[in-house]
Amino acid sequence: MVPKKPKVPSQLSDYQIRMSFAINCQGLHVRYRSKSGKPVEAVSGLSFGVEKGEIVGFLGPNGAGKSSTLKVLMGFIEPYSGSAKVLESESGSIESRSRTGYLPEVAMYYPFLTPFETLTLYGELQGLKGKALRNETFELLERVGLKGSQKKQNRTLSKGMLQRVGIAQSLLGNPELLILDEVTSGLDPIGRRELRALLQEKNKQGTTLFFSSHELSEVSRICDRILIIDKGKLIAERNLKEVEASLSKYLLTYNGETSLFDLSMEFEEDESGNMRASFATKDALIEAIDRVKISGGKVTDIVAEQGSLEDYFLETLGVAA
Amino acid sequence: MKKLLIWKALARGVVLESVRRKDIWVVAILGLLTILSAGALGFFGFSGLELFAKDLGLTVLSIFSTVLAVLASSRMLPDEIKNRTLYPLLARPVSRFDFLFGKFLGAVAVSWISFSLLAAMVAIALFTFGVTFELILIQYAICKMMGLVLVCAFSLALSAYLTPAAATTLSLVLLFGSSMMLRGLTMAALGSPDLAWLYTSVSNLLPQVGLFDLGSRATNQNWTLVPAWVVLALAGYMAIYSTAMLTFSWAKFRRRAI
Repeated sequence: MVPKKPKVPSQLSDYQIRMSFAINCQGLHVRYRSKSGKPVEAVSGLSFGVEKGEIVGFLGPNGAGKSSTLKVLMGFIEPYSGSAKVLESESGSIESRSRTGYLPEVAMYYPFLTPFETLTLYGELQGLKGKALRNETFELLERVGLKGSQKKQNRTLSKGMLQRVGIAQSLLGNPELLILDEVTSGLDPIGRRELRALLQEKNKQGTTLFFSSHELSEVSRICDRILIIDKGKLIAERNLKEVEASLSKYLLTYNGETSLFDLSMEFEEDESGNMRASFATKDALIEAIDRVKISGGKVTDIVAEQGSLEDYFLETLGVAA
Repeated sequence: MKKLLIWKALARGVVLESVRRKDIWVVAILGLLTILSAGALGFFGFSGLELFAKDLGLTVLSIFSTVLAVLASSRMLPDEIKNRTLYPLLARPVSRFDFLFGKFLGAVAVSWISFSLLAAMVAIALFTFGVTFELILIQYAICKMMGLVLVCAFSLALSAYLTPAAATTLSLVLLFGSSMMLRGLTMAALGSPDLAWLYTSVSNLLPQVGLFDLGSRATNQNWTLVPAWVVLALAGYMAIYSTAMLTFSWAKFRRRAI
């Protein structure tokens, strides 16, 4: 009898595709009841995925539905319809929460506990105990810069220090996925730099990062990809390198009669009669310089301009910068 | 085992917060001042002071420990939501029932600690006034502590459905007025046999905290102990009623958007 060959799938099944996602939302709708009793839709048919190992920024104006989406992912609220999976499990399940670290948007920690006691409490709820918990707590407090304040009560700490407590607690138990809501809130520039380094280190160790932030400069420094939502709908999903490339342009000021129409996006003549052309790529700029020189013209100025993520964000939202 | 650790961690957090917030100490000081004022009467030579001091001491103990138990449990859940301390807790692999139960245990622990503290002060004061120790005082304390479990479960259940202020007020009204209400309901049931089932049902729904108060019995000298089966029956009632109240809280809290 000829043994059966194992069945080799010709293409990835939906299940296998989902397996590579740390977060997978499909057609998510979130509704609240307003005080007058009318339903208000905070999230409308949101679908997106975050692959394992990615760093994804979740952007949008106030009231766009970011926090509502993150609350669904953590199981704090139930979606009206649609599905949300976190690390292959239903969002909010014990299984998904045991592998996820979460930093709330505005977190308050018990005012009469110390950062050490706070982390010990969350660690015990995470299933950690004994010496391992104690060591991890000390290590995390040191890592977020709270070593000297570990015995002060939380009520005596500044907003930035409390945010550090929050960041430390989200890292307890070495989670596979970090969901951070307004992660840089309250942190000073030094704190932000330390946080960036910490998050990048965690990502290198394999942790997936999904976070919302209004600090777009921070997002552009750390993210692989961004998702922009507005009025509960996904309006843009872009690789950050592509966005940066699309935002960079080079300005060449020259004189002389040179045809650059096939290379440039736009031209204008300045007050002294020089031509100014802008180019989307460095290659086009170099080609243009060569042509100007060959045709006997003279390059008078070269400027490289890098648009910001803020420009892209505002443009995407249709707001004049 | 894992659940035990979760409940322990949550309960310890509640106790630590409460002790450092100094709620317990304020009540203890108030209790002490009230009892000491009884001592002042003795200074002026009132007769029968022993009995009076004992009655006053046990009443103070009963009232203050109940008030503290109500405050500890009725504010807990709404405060967690209002202060947003709930989010990092429920982001952990903890079910909402475990969260609720751990907090309930914390409230019970706080009320027991404050009761013990007050009881120690009352005991010192009573022995100073020359009151002799009787075994029924121990039985009084055990029953009172069981009653506090009931108080915590009842207040927590109300707080899951009402605002903190409403839950606290209603808890205090129903707990302190329960004996009066039960008497009224019994009279009403006797007065109109057709509606007796309704009055009986309502009285069964109310927490019978009066059953746990052996204060009157303990005040009088040389009264015998309550039989052990009665204490066991009270423990059974406490377990059933508290489980029902916790289930009632969980029914609301388990799907609540936070």
